[in-house]
Amino acid sequence: MSSTNPTDPNLLMSRRVFTASTAAIGAAAVFAQPSFGRIKGLREENTLRVGVVGCGGRGTGAVIQALKADTGSVLWAMGDLFEEKIEPCLGYTRDAMLDLDDEQGTATWSKKIQVGDRKFHGFNAIHKVLASGVDVIILTTPPAFRPEHLKHSVEANKHVFCEKPVAVDAPGVRSVLESARIAKTKSLSLMSGFCWRYQDQVKETMNAIHTGGIGKLHTIQTTYNTTGWVEPKQRKAEWSDAEFQLRNWQYFNPLSADHVAEQAVHAIDWQAWAMQDQTPVRCFGVGGRQTRPSLDETGNVWDHFSLIYEYADGVRAYHMCRHWPNTPSDNSAYFQGSEGNCTMQPWNGTHTIEGVNPWKGNAVSNDMYQREHDVLFNSIRKNAPVNDGTFMSHTSLLAIMGRMAAYSGKVVTWEQAMNSDVSLNTQPWEFGNREAPTIPVPGSTKEI
Amino acid sequence: MTESFSLVLCPESTIETESGLVDVPALYVLSTEVTWDLYDIYVYKLDEPEAGSDADAISRPSKPYVPPDRGFGHEGYPAIGMTFLAAKGFCDWLSIKSGLEIRLPSRAEWTYLATGGEDGDFCCGTNEDSLDLVGWHSDNSEHSTHPVGLLAANNFGLFDMHGNTAEWVSSDTRKPIAFGGGYRDSANDCAGTSFQKQVSSWNQSDPQIPKSQWWLADCSWVGFRFVIEADGIDQQLLEGLQNVINESD
Repeated sequence: MSSTNPTDPNLLMSRRVFTASTAAIGAAAVFAQPSFGRIKGLREENTLRVGVVGCGGRGTGAVIQALKADTGSVLWAMGDLFEEKIEPCLGYTRDAMLDLDDEQGTATWSKKIQVGDRKFHGFNAIHKVLASGVDVIILTTPPAFRPEHLKHSVEANKHVFCEKPVAVDAPGVRSVLESARIAKTKSLSLMSGFCWRYQDQVKETMNAIHTGGIGKLHTIQTTYNTTGWVEPKQRKAEWSDAEFQLRNWQYFNPLSADHVAEQAVHAIDWQAWAMQDQTPVRCFGVGGRQTRPSLDETGNVWDHFSLIYEYADGVRAYHMCRHWPNTPSDNSAYFQGSEGNCTMQPWNGTHTIEGVNPWKGNAVSNDMYQREHDVLFNSIRKNAPVNDGTFMSHTSLLAIMGRMAAYSGKVVTWEQAMNSDVSLNTQPWEFGNREAPTIPVPGSTKEI
Repeated sequence: MTESFSLVLCPESTIETESGLVDVPALYVLSTEVTWDLYDIYVYKLDEPEAGSDADAISRPSKPYVPPDRGFGHEGYPAIGMTFLAAKGFCDWLSIKSGLEIRLPSRAEWTYLATGGEDGDFCCGTNEDSLDLVGWHSDNSEHSTHPVGLLAANNFGLFDMHGNTAEWVSSDTRKPIAFGGGYRDSANDCAGTSFQKQVSSWNQSDPQIPKSQWWLADCSWVGFRFVIEADGIDQQLLEGLQNVINESD
């Protein structure tokens, strides 16, 4: 354990006192220069105020990365559906900043936490965070809420970090595309959570494919085979139906989009990237639920999908994903072309091409999550907005389209998927009674 | 399923270390690195009759966020990428299940076991130029771990002490350390005295904060094996250990 062990109660206490006093000074200084209504977000004292909505593990990671990405970024406001999620997120962020101060012999990192009492919970936390004077917002709630949160964020002229997937259904994807378009007209930066796009080794491999390293690409295979998600939570007596589903959001497809779109979408994004974001003609596939125990808390999501995508130029892309405990795992991609085959296994650093022009990647691995925020904040500072809007929407739809095909058992065209009016959340989210969604059965579920 | 494994009895000794002479007790030692076949029993509660029940309130790993075996292979391959805490947790779990005191080796014990009680840094009279006989290292591994026990065992009957995976040991260092080098290390760094200290890059790709206590997202080269002190051991419990594993189906 570190000598700066954050769980040491004595240290923690002295640090808390220290942080509270410096935060108060910082907040006073900032309040002296109100700046609501700005578009670019650069104020005189050079701070960029960061807000987060969705204070779970991913939100916490993103907050820390945002604070590390820019000398002037400060954590300004926090929101979550559940009040008890906020303090742990703040605590881990504070610890990370104090660790940096300890490592570097500084006292500046911990001054970046300037949340004060701007901590909001409930379904409308997004509005309170947006109205608190933030410049940049981190959207890390379950995906069901992303389209609406992004819409409000862009309306409020905020730069955005938008986790993947960006929606759970086609109406959500269309909303995100529109928000992304508006963000562009307002010169706002919009960074997606498709982190592999910011990983140097994968980037180098994609570049090799795009520049003819395997000749004409004709076949893609991607996998995201793992052993499952976080353990589901058993229902507590005091939880309403809605709260029960929200606390097990991964397992309910209206909230998570199912694992093919929530998690395996990272591998499907490799497919999209290799295709230079060309959209497919159609998709079909199979899937089901074989190993998930039949419990209320394991919701209605499936545990495996196998999908085939067909592109206009004859390229076929095969994707397989599964959540099967006690089985081998695999998260890799294979790209076959007229002049060679590319193997990409990012988790063990294998990036090779065999064929006419043998190739081996030599880029160095980087922290892709940090890089995303480095790029985002740099784009804000340089007034050169980054906008991942189109590809993040299309990749999300690519996975949703596969889910539609497997759930329904039908062949689904890109146009059908994009124009689908099936919404997974017709009933607005509020605490109270809520019917649990049923497990989709091909041939009897309307999914397109 | 039946997961066979074997323990070998290694004699007690007094060995010279940087901090002086250290007594190593007689030890029963797992002849190979812990395989996924064994480790999965612990992770996926395959020893519990019903899903979800965990009568002993044993602390078990979360399901891994990343593909834990990295696509190298599963059955017969060494388990990799678990944290020190998880390796220790496995030993604690198996101790509860078996009634034996199962633990990770100390640094001195590990080096002694690796060299098979011989002088020098490598076993069986090998050196960094002839390590291919006993160990998977960067020049012969083809950037992957290999099934345990494919190469020659050392004098004690222990496989893959040099290379394949570095192995967690118990120590009083601030960060956990792993001995013996792995498939990606040079032969020279797979000596019995070679060790590496965990650094933050071993878990860089875990997107969640706090990061997993159980899995290291970017560490594909560390595993472990366990030891049991032989002095006064209950032979019935020792024989029962095999059954503990075999009954896990």
